[in-house]
Amino acid sequence: MRFVSSPTAAVAALLFVATGAVAHAQDNAQNNALVFRDVETKYIFGFTEGSGIGLEGEKEFSLDTEAKIGKRDGRYWASETKFEYEFTPSQYVQFELGPFMSIDSIHNVTGFDDQSQVGFGGVFGEIRYLLLDRSAGQPLSVTLSLEPEWRRIGDNGGEHENSFELEAKVNADVELIKNRLYLGSNLLYEPEATKDPDGIGAGWEMESMGGVSGALSYRITPSVFIGGEVWYLRHYAGAWFNEFEGDAVYVGPTLFVQLNPKMFISVAWNVQVDGSEEDNPDAGLNLEEFSHNRAKFKFAVEF
Amino acid sequence: MRTAIAIAAAVFLSGAAMPAVAQPQKAASVTISVKNHRFQPAELHAPANVPIMLHVKNLDSTPMEFESVSLRVEKVVTGNGEGLIRLRPLSPGRYNFFDDFHQQTTGVLVVR
Repeated sequence: MRFVSSPTAAVAALLFVATGAVAHAQDNAQNNALVFRDVETKYIFGFTEGSGIGLEGEKEFSLDTEAKIGKRDGRYWASETKFEYEFTPSQYVQFELGPFMSIDSIHNVTGFDDQSQVGFGGVFGEIRYLLLDRSAGQPLSVTLSLEPEWRRIGDNGGEHENSFELEAKVNADVELIKNRLYLGSNLLYEPEATKDPDGIGAGWEMESMGGVSGALSYRITPSVFIGGEVWYLRHYAGAWFNEFEGDAVYVGPTLFVQLNPKMFISVAWNVQVDGSEEDNPDAGLNLEEFSHNRAKFKFAVEF
Repeated sequence: MRTAIAIAAAVFLSGAAMPAVAQPQKAASVTISVKNHRFQPAELHAPANVPIMLHVKNLDSTPMEFESVSLRVEKVVTGNGEGLIRLRPLSPGRYNFFDDFHQQTTGVLVVR
């Protein structure tokens, strides 16, 4: 098992502590008798998405950054920041859409071209449909989400490409303690088609990813959730899990802070603790298709 | 031809035999007011498993925002204004709500 000891991790840890402390102070100042109201679970689990679909009539703008950090050697950073508009037109359906920006800083990494770029990465959309509603005596809630995405910059190596992917997820969560403790899980299937990635006229190359996650999130104050999550991801050649290429296990902490009634942040840090590569059986981690660490930071404003 | 007639007759008869299935559910109507930043009444009652039309009357001069995560709705109601919120059929239970602009203003919808 390997853990990260980089300045980036230290900054992330400081951010975790600082935001939690600020929100805790706000809770104490504003609300002597702490009230734990019902909560939207969508963003309380880090990379794992909860089943929440927002409130009918609610609109939200957010900056949502996911970064991949570290390979076997050299310096590696590849991030995408979504400029996301989200709205909920009914009590069952939610939509999201927007462009995203790619930032790549890749130097001296074996098997990757050096990249140093900031650019328009592509566009995405998402529809979420509530399949099973939580109610009294029934703590489970389940949502199905479909997220098509067009990308012009590769999310692993930063190379220019023309690709389409569809991220299909089942998002489920269970309220273990009323308004305090939640267990979340995702089931992921993500096929992707890239047009002639090697520039040799080979047509569309297909790949796919499958995954499952589990996450716990505990509400320590009305505004702050802390927790942890585990992800198991498998990568394949072919759109239908045709040929196994490798897998990875990530674990890490999560934080959600409601800054005020219309603003929140969600932060997560995942470390790869196990993995395998088909082409490199001796590797203890999969650093070919996956990064050593990954981070998520989302800042959202509702209106 | 006889098969087509038989199918048409079966479709017609099945429709005639189940008029209740085809009819939309009748919505229950519930009204709540806000005055001096308090819900009146603070506890509402509504029947389970039918749509609910919730009328919100804001008797204060400042706007309020009716919000509930468990009901999955939010709606701004202007000062001295009214708002209508259509709720999906709900299971029996207690559904908390509050005014997002005045967080101490709370209430509960009891569905039986």
